[in-house]
Amino acid sequence: MPSAATLAGMGKGKTLQLRDGTEWEGAMSIDVRQAPRPGRRDEEVDVLIVGAGPSGSVAAKHLSAAGFSVVSLEQGHFPDRNAYAGRRPEWELVSQKQWHPNPNVRDLPRDYPIETSESDINPLMFAGVGGSTTLYAAHWTPFLPSDFRTRSLDGVGDDWPFTYEDLLPYLDEIEREVGVSGMPGNPAYPPHGSYPTPPLPIGKIGYKAAQGLDKLGWHWWPGTNAIPSVPYNGLNACVRRGTCMTGCPEGAKSTSDITYWPHAIKNGARLVTGARVREIEVNDNGFATGAVYIDANGREHRQRASVIILCANGIGTPRLLLLSRSKRFPDGLANGSGLVGKRLMMHPFSAVLGVYEEDLESWRGPFGQNVDSLQFYETDEKRGFVRGAKWGAFPAGGPLGATAFVGSKVFVGDEANVEESWGENLHRTVERRFGHSVVWGIIGEDLPEESNRVVLDPVLTDSDGIPAPKILYKFSENSQKLLQFHVARCLEATKAAGAIETLVVHQMRDTGWHLLGTCRMGDSSATSVVDQWGRAHDVPNLYIFDGSSFPTSGGVNPTATIMSVALRQTRHLIAERRSQEAA
Amino acid sequence: MIDALQRKTFLAIADVLIPAAEGMPAASQVGVGDEVLDRILSLRDDLREPFVRGIAAAAGKEPQAAVEALNRHDPEALGAIGLVASGAYYMSPRVRALIGYPGQEKRPGNPDEIPEYVANGMLQQVIDRGPIYRPTPK
Repeated sequence: MPSAATLAGMGKGKTLQLRDGTEWEGAMSIDVRQAPRPGRRDEEVDVLIVGAGPSGSVAAKHLSAAGFSVVSLEQGHFPDRNAYAGRRPEWELVSQKQWHPNPNVRDLPRDYPIETSESDINPLMFAGVGGSTTLYAAHWTPFLPSDFRTRSLDGVGDDWPFTYEDLLPYLDEIEREVGVSGMPGNPAYPPHGSYPTPPLPIGKIGYKAAQGLDKLGWHWWPGTNAIPSVPYNGLNACVRRGTCMTGCPEGAKSTSDITYWPHAIKNGARLVTGARVREIEVNDNGFATGAVYIDANGREHRQRASVIILCANGIGTPRLLLLSRSKRFPDGLANGSGLVGKRLMMHPFSAVLGVYEEDLESWRGPFGQNVDSLQFYETDEKRGFVRGAKWGAFPAGGPLGATAFVGSKVFVGDEANVEESWGENLHRTVERRFGHSVVWGIIGEDLPEESNRVVLDPVLTDSDGIPAPKILYKFSENSQKLLQFHVARCLEATKAAGAIETLVVHQMRDTGWHLLGTCRMGDSSATSVVDQWGRAHDVPNLYIFDGSSFPTSGGVNPTATIMSVALRQTRHLIAERRSQEAA
Repeated sequence: MIDALQRKTFLAIADVLIPAAEGMPAASQVGVGDEVLDRILSLRDDLREPFVRGIAAAAGKEPQAAVEALNRHDPEALGAIGLVASGAYYMSPRVRALIGYPGQEKRPGNPDEIPEYVANGMLQQVIDRGPIYRPTPK
């Protein structure tokens, strides 16, 4: 075994000399004022992070605060709040193109295309600092205890290497950094402390949704959202504009460009935007040495680092590993298990629209969740499927939203024709639905299957000529039964609330917001890509901190859990820096 | 640039799609063929090609028949024309006033206010029904 340097000197709050054999034994106190200076482009840094979304931002802030020299490469740019369309009258029109969550629809140069002809769900994402949270609805729904034990409880998926209780302290810390708003006491979770900001108003649509559930004696809870109700950590208070999913022009939706990067940069972290990584390089000893990236002008660069952390989401991360083939790693980097790219989970999704007589002002925000329900989240074998789903109640948006949901025209009849969609019927539809609608989004748990996977497309490339990912994904029988059951119950709740019209969009295609599982964590190098701390079994100085590492998907929006897991892994890396091997 | 003939054809098609009915004005009555048309095609450049193609196919035809023909033979073009027309229509202040839509305006809540669902006991009922999460083995 060749000798390897260790990172014993990392994180001491000084400019570090990691490979010269010396160890500085100075004070270990963390002081951002003593943070290392930002490195030059050609300088080797302690930690290179690929991707400045939720997980990468957590790592960048906390590693830099602990004194590590950090460079983050982000293919997108720093968001410009003034570019978000929510304040402008054309908001609905541009939300169907420029701000659509599907990169294939947006077709912007910083997006990479994704081949989806063999996928039942289109993956959704956004390239930029803050990552896909730029366009998320900010539902803050941590995984439940059972999500970490699906094998033990239900005989499906895999148990995680750690438990809900293990993750809870990190979740608490992340919630304080993110500025979550919510009401404590939700009986769908074990007892949990209060949130840093009070709950947002649930609005008339939230009351309407809750009334139906109450009539049936079913669970509901005021929405918990990564949207503060009062100014918090650089965020403004939510003003309920309702355009969360096209970027918040108020700066009131928690995204890491606001809540994390100002801290990380102050700590000395260097953020390189417009930097598209095409390969992780390794040396003859099998250690990662750095990344090759292409800047916005098409020039190629190398960034060397002692430790590399991939945070490029459940498609971007396996894509990069598969792109990083070498003589030593002919099947892709860290792919000794053959599982890189496999077990993709994207959450099957259906939506139920309920229309009511009353004016519900259903264009008002937040376009986070106004209320949610976890009534049918846990397994009941009598239903004919395992695991469950979360329901979240949304407003319906503006008048174009009478037939559309999140930028896609879906609420039209099966026999949609000119007469049905236009003419006098257009006026009747808008009069009946606009302002009077509640949309339930149903997120079902996706079970891991190796046949659902990310591969490299042999033809399609991004704007830099790098092979694009291709998705192979089919709805499972369990997913189909799960969604059918939940839609039927949701229709009951909608009608119990007094709906005069209901529409269902079943197994909606443009709903792959949650990209999970493609580099699963586990104890065995034969059956997993990374260990419980996110370290690649095959490459001792390569880590994955994003949702790729999730063994199972849960049936809730995953950002809270992604960020909490990233903090757990980051803290471990900091604590174990003396034993961390490097090239 | 959309010329006068294209604009005229568009307005005729738009009035088939969005006629004066149900107390609402027709598309042409709220100026969907004015500057807003150019603005929308500028904002949504992806719509321009199918829009222009559809308008060319409809030129000189009876509008209702043109719409039906587009629906049969070029639904993408009809979709583009329809989206431009409805987008412009619902951006019109007059239309917004008629349907009671102020736009996506600011209406902040009061975070110090006790929510009605707490004050009226609704949420207490949910709590009283007890925990629903599934305890897990360690």
